[in-house]
Amino acid sequence: MQAVVQYVLSGLAIGGIYALVALGFHIMWSAARAVNFAHGDTLMLGAVLTIMGIDAGLPLSIAVAVSIAASCLFGVLLERFAVRPFAKTSASIGWMLTTIAVGIMLEALVTMRFGGFSRALPSPGVTHAISIFGAGVYPQELLIPVVAILIMVGFGWVRRRTLIGRAMQAVSFDRSAAALMGINVNAIFALSFGLAAALGGAAGILVAPVTQASATMGLILGLKGFAVAIIGGITSAPGVVIAGLGFGILEKFVEGYISTAAREIIGFSVTILVLLIFPQGLFGKREVFKV
Amino acid sequence: MRDRSTYFGFALFAVFLALVPLTAANEYSLRLFMIFFIYAVIALGLNVLVGLAGLISLGQAGLFALGSYAGAILSTRAGFDLVTSSIVAILISSVFGALLAYPTVRVRGVYLAVITIAFGLIVENIAIELQSLTGGTTGISGIPKPSAFGISLLGMRYYWVLAFILFFVALVTHNLKRSKYGRAMLAVSQSETAAQSVGLNVTSIRTLAFVVSAGTAGLAGVLYAFLNSYISPDIFTFSDSVRFLLMVIFGGAGTTTGSLIGALILTYLPEYLQQLQYWQKFAYGLLLAVVMFVLPLGVFGTFAEVFRRFRPQARSADVTNVLPVEDAVRDQKSGAPGGAELAASGLTVRFGGLTALNNVALKVRPAEIHALIGPNGAGKSTFVNTVTGFYQPDSGHFDIDGAKLNGQAPHTIARKGFARTFQNTELFGELSVMENIMVGYQRRFTYNFLDAAIRSPRFNRQEDECKTVALSLLAFVHLADYAHERARFLPFGLQRRLEIARALAAAPRLLLLDEPAAGLTTQEIEDLDGMIRRIASLGISILLIEHHVDLIMSVADRVTVLDYGVVIASDVPPVIQDNPRVVEAYFGTPAITARVAS
Repeated sequence: MQAVVQYVLSGLAIGGIYALVALGFHIMWSAARAVNFAHGDTLMLGAVLTIMGIDAGLPLSIAVAVSIAASCLFGVLLERFAVRPFAKTSASIGWMLTTIAVGIMLEALVTMRFGGFSRALPSPGVTHAISIFGAGVYPQELLIPVVAILIMVGFGWVRRRTLIGRAMQAVSFDRSAAALMGINVNAIFALSFGLAAALGGAAGILVAPVTQASATMGLILGLKGFAVAIIGGITSAPGVVIAGLGFGILEKFVEGYISTAAREIIGFSVTILVLLIFPQGLFGKREVFKV
Repeated sequence: MRDRSTYFGFALFAVFLALVPLTAANEYSLRLFMIFFIYAVIALGLNVLVGLAGLISLGQAGLFALGSYAGAILSTRAGFDLVTSSIVAILISSVFGALLAYPTVRVRGVYLAVITIAFGLIVENIAIELQSLTGGTTGISGIPKPSAFGISLLGMRYYWVLAFILFFVALVTHNLKRSKYGRAMLAVSQSETAAQSVGLNVTSIRTLAFVVSAGTAGLAGVLYAFLNSYISPDIFTFSDSVRFLLMVIFGGAGTTTGSLIGALILTYLPEYLQQLQYWQKFAYGLLLAVVMFVLPLGVFGTFAEVFRRFRPQARSADVTNVLPVEDAVRDQKSGAPGGAELAASGLTVRFGGLTALNNVALKVRPAEIHALIGPNGAGKSTFVNTVTGFYQPDSGHFDIDGAKLNGQAPHTIARKGFARTFQNTELFGELSVMENIMVGYQRRFTYNFLDAAIRSPRFNRQEDECKTVALSLLAFVHLADYAHERARFLPFGLQRRLEIARALAAAPRLLLLDEPAAGLTTQEIEDLDGMIRRIASLGISILLIEHHVDLIMSVADRVTVLDYGVVIASDVPPVIQDNPRVVEAYFGTPAITARVAS
């Protein structure tokens, strides 16, 4: 019983991170029909910059704000220079490769400045563990899934109720038609990538106290977040959050009962199976085929 | 001329492979060159998937690992030699390649990318987890030295083995590209719909591309295991999959030379960048980004494009010595069965609450020109899309010469002798006009994979026949001047004619023309009129969907009128012209029409 509660709670924490990463992919996809393949690196950027800010003597809150702003700027610049030039033709995979290239550069730069080792980010959320049904958990870990759900609800509201949100929907359906209606398509793209990157930075700051921050922490989080986004159906925000939390819990159980390698094997096998049965993801909308 | 430059290229490549060992300064540089051979084999195979079939694999390291581990385990535990373990490894990785292809039936693009990424990570972690078989994280060491049939293949001997294999793989993949298989892959990647309409089985073509790329990766894995005599899971990571994909894109997707160049650069680049120490990875990323910006088609792709611009190929083709069109559209093997009879009855198709076709019965008699008309939204295109298998009817049935066609896939129906054009033209935009027609010819080929790989006499004979037919049809639709132009650069009217030529290349028994006159000038419509009559005179049944009344009244033997999904009249043109219900459907109520008329 205690182990089960432990796995569920830890699973919700890591799953919350996957959900946040997947939400970032969802935001980019739902405007631009393209994503930043180095999105995991925005988590790394947020976490590493915050630690460097604290090293430089900034208070935690300022360091967090600066790091999120910097991640956002990174997202906007990346969209402008690495995605936009290649996203014109839908069949192009150019953006996939340029964003991977940017990720490689960013990781190399951070390794040089930050060092090749992992460091913990001090946070009030990890000073004392609390006990729930005998399972030990940090408040920080409980916070992560809550943030994921709040952002999902908030972004859903923005998407449906605000002018900008509707403009994003319009752009994702048909960018030329949206442009003809007076929507600044490029601004919407930049906004969605900036928003996603800011969210990524925040997710990195949330997870770093629990798992530690390093220059290479982004790759696997990014990959799993992307897998989760696809499983949940990248067009559905609640879908990717549910998939993220579920994936996190599954991982913790497999890791607890079998091994770390088995965690990856089973996690990714589930990804493939889900896609075979639900090609649009669990909650994604089916795209209608017309001759 | 093109063939001569290919021979020259391969001769040059052979000389290169023979000369390199003479320049190698030491054991290490020779070994690095052998690593390049292995990577090049992967890149050539992956190019078939990425460059021809237009699919993405970010899990190639997983297939490479499968081959490597199969080779290592079989040679250390069961004493298999290079040849036998290669065969087993190719088989194993091909099976997994075919399994990976299965999802492409339903998912594409980033979804497929995720599946291949997941596959690569699964293999990597299974290698870690299955310790008793794979040695876990420490891997397998002490792989025996390569040998085949009891002959040891050490040192330079192994170099020659690798050089021969690379040359052979390059030759086969290049031949594949310039055969019906390569054209089919390109066609499927550019328009799945059009590919199905000429009888291509999209799934089996994608599976073939996956199997080729998986088999070569598996082969490369065995070669690597024997070269290194030690393997461990960290050689087969996601980053390696990215690197293999980059080799293809970097060199120039779709070109054999490009894959070789990409593999060469990305094998040596990390070695040279080591001098930069800390900046090594950064420089690697920067270079990739710069290449994507400066040379979006890859190194060789961009070079070829520039070369083409400075020395443009002749656009037109010589069509002075071609077959008369009646020979071009007759399939020698199956003889001349003549026009087919299409009969549909009780056909009903619903989209949600909208009934697009309601209990429609229609019969196209052999070699007749049957026109299907009706106002916008009457269900004409739905009818065509249903009888060609793209939509499934909710009830009713349709058959050709009495053989039931319901529920069959578009490509199966196409192979029964159907050919069609599309309302919004569906051409293979990046293929040349000539190649578009050659794809239409696809189902008349009977040569197999082996014939294509070694360019057998049978292959050459059939390809020549195909070219002759294509040229004849080019002449027939008056497109000889544009033979080598890319299809998407053609003006709209010419694109329509190209679609007709492509449909005829399949030697159809029933041709469905979906609004062939839409968007054409008066002169073009007159030409079309003559063309349709000529096609019918060849004994091909025609179902013509049109708005253009003059054209219909001039060419049609029989006219069926649809309105709101219901057949309201079906008769010879003069009777239709006077049918009050038809007039009403087109112009509104008779009272108003009468007033307008008076």
